Amino acid sequence: MILDASPPGGGPNRGRACYAPHMDWRRDITRWGGYPLAAVAIGLSSLAFFPLRGIVSAPVVMLFYVPIIVAIARVSGTKASACAAALAFLFIDLLYIPPYYRLTIESLPEWIGLIIFLVVALISGQQTGRLRERERAALRRQSELELLNRLSFRIASEHSITATAQYVAEQVVRVGNARRTALYRGDGEGEPRCVASAGDTTSASNEQALAQWVLTADKAVGYPSLHEESEEHPVATVPPDGALPGVTADAVFLPLQTVQGLEGVFVAQPASESGFGQDEARLLVSVANLTAAAFERERLADEAAHTHALRETDRMKTTLVSSVSHELKTPLAAATARVTGLIDEGASCDSERVRTELVAVSEDLVRLDASIGDLLDLSRLESDAWRPNLVAEDVSDVLGTALSRLSRHQAERITFSLEPDLPPVTVDFSQLARAFVNLMENALTYSPAGSPVTVGANATAGNVIISIEDRGPGVPDAEKPLVFDKFFRGSTSGASPGGTGLGLAIASEIVRSHDGTLTVEDAAPRGARFVMTLPATGGTSD
Amino acid sequence: MTEGAPERHARILVIDDEEQIRRALKSVLQARHYDVDLAASAEEGIELTAERTPDAIILDLTLPSMSGLEACSRLREWYEGPILVLSVCSGDADKIAALDLGADDYLTKPFSTGELLARLRALLRRASPAGSPVNEVISGDLRIDFARRLVTLRGAHVKLTRIEFEILALLARNAGRVVTSSMLLENVWGPEYVRDTQTLRVHVSHLRKKIETPGDVPRFVLTEPSVGFRFAETDEDRSR
Repeated sequence: MILDASPPGGGPNRGRACYAPHMDWRRDITRWGGYPLAAVAIGLSSLAFFPLRGIVSAPVVMLFYVPIIVAIARVSGTKASACAAALAFLFIDLLYIPPYYRLTIESLPEWIGLIIFLVVALISGQQTGRLRERERAALRRQSELELLNRLSFRIASEHSITATAQYVAEQVVRVGNARRTALYRGDGEGEPRCVASAGDTTSASNEQALAQWVLTADKAVGYPSLHEESEEHPVATVPPDGALPGVTADAVFLPLQTVQGLEGVFVAQPASESGFGQDEARLLVSVANLTAAAFERERLADEAAHTHALRETDRMKTTLVSSVSHELKTPLAAATARVTGLIDEGASCDSERVRTELVAVSEDLVRLDASIGDLLDLSRLESDAWRPNLVAEDVSDVLGTALSRLSRHQAERITFSLEPDLPPVTVDFSQLARAFVNLMENALTYSPAGSPVTVGANATAGNVIISIEDRGPGVPDAEKPLVFDKFFRGSTSGASPGGTGLGLAIASEIVRSHDGTLTVEDAAPRGARFVMTLPATGGTSD
Repeated sequence: MTEGAPERHARILVIDDEEQIRRALKSVLQARHYDVDLAASAEEGIELTAERTPDAIILDLTLPSMSGLEACSRLREWYEGPILVLSVCSGDADKIAALDLGADDYLTKPFSTGELLARLRALLRRASPAGSPVNEVISGDLRIDFARRLVTLRGAHVKLTRIEFEILALLARNAGRVVTSSMLLENVWGPEYVRDTQTLRVHVSHLRKKIETPGDVPRFVLTEPSVGFRFAETDEDRSR
């Protein structure tokens, strides 16, 4: 249910006191000073006009009084102006119409004149008073609209819900005749928390408890009854029946309701003893509805982001699972097909063909083994289960061990150009060797058979930079950020070259865990160059 | 892949609790004309060792009841032939412990047949009492003459300190095989120095500067991370 801000009768505003704080003095004049002001004004003007007696006739004096009565109506309203008209009637009769200083009137024309004056004065006062009230109502509506406008603009443009809530709280204090405002968030489960407050910053001791009750019961507390047209005490200060014994509310507590449920509570404490008027109450409801929408929007945005993240994780998992099953099943399926083929052919199969098939099977199994090893290493690295054993090591030493892990045929294609006396790097020897093996194998795989792969290393400003360069087709710019992704295979790699698609991901993960960087760039005249930067030992530690 | 059948049929004992590995190793080794015995547990393996006196043992470190490590230490009390241990994980501490307990080399599962056969050949050759005592080792440009304590690189004499020569000699005598840091320290410095790996690293580094090519990676003395060092294959190994 959404609180309806319009009055039940739908009728126009009935000339009630204006609500904006800067008009307070006028309201006080209206309430308390209207009649004395009227009396004083009429008395003083009568004194001022008195010397004119005998110079101008009574009807002219009557004309002098009309603007004064209109002015009183303008300042103090219709009732005060009616009172002024009556007073003027009395003064004119006593002072200007013979016999002087007596209420009696001798001639009928004088009587008629005086009666006409009274009617004109009353009608003018009434009209002016109404005009004034309409003007006030228009002004009030305007500032209400402006406030709501500002709030809705703010809600639409502001990303931070806390800032929005604070803005709402401050604006209502500024415009809405409230001493304190506060916004609580919660959905009835757990304690509501105050997200913004303005005006009097010390909250009433029972504010939190009442907010909690409002959220649980989904009911407003201290809200003025819009059906009541009585001017006095429009705010019900009674606590909810028996809900919180001994707790009284001196503020309005509005549940922030949306179609989907409760978003929080809006608390507004009236500035004056008499509480909020109906217009103010309506404004509070409008503000509460707007704020509820803002809170809901923020919550939905959060939920959407969360859902998106979950979906993304899900998608990545699916990709990973399908890639993993592809990586594992392909060689297995190929090997199974070859072996079952051989079994079916039986004795008819010549030994040379058996040998060819078995070589192919062993290649499939080597690939399967590499895939399993890579997956295990990657999961150990990603789950931090492969704890690096950090020791200051010589890069050339690690490269030497990495080289010894390659087949002799592969190793022969690699040439080294290492700067002498490189500073040591603090690394896990085995992990870094693994990264080098993967990078070298990648370079060997993605470049023409027999073409050289060059490994260089040099020291610059606290870092050791290792480069692995091949003479292959290189990596297109669009694919450079992707080559370190799991299972990524470049478009230039042609038919499946037999790698697992994990080598560079593992290398990248290892380098990352050593606070280093691994990038790929173009080599001249052609080929790819992988550049690894590792912090040199001694720069920061050891 | 079919070369390398030794003249005399060496007898290999495989101790592994996994049936598939036993069967695979049996067929691979028999194809190379080795005689193969199989044991599914450490106890059975020790019994078979006493009964058949194999020329080499392939021992899996993860075994039920008695561990491979304990089997290794028990075997070493009386068995003098080479022991090649198999470990599952590259960072396995048991592997280093096994080497220190007297195992001769290790392989990380899974391994290629070629790798296994190469290691096995190297172990058998060095263990062979028939083989003449090694007087010199030649690997590429490097020549080490043990009797004359002389090292030459591309024909030029390399001046090494006593410690450097002893490190190089121990590694070269075990060319192709891993030598643990503690073995090196114990043999070169003495038993009380087995934990002083930093000193070893410094001397290996000095040794490398004298024999390795500047600007290139080490080609003769290779690091086996967290285990020790390995001397590159000799020319003799490569020719096989």
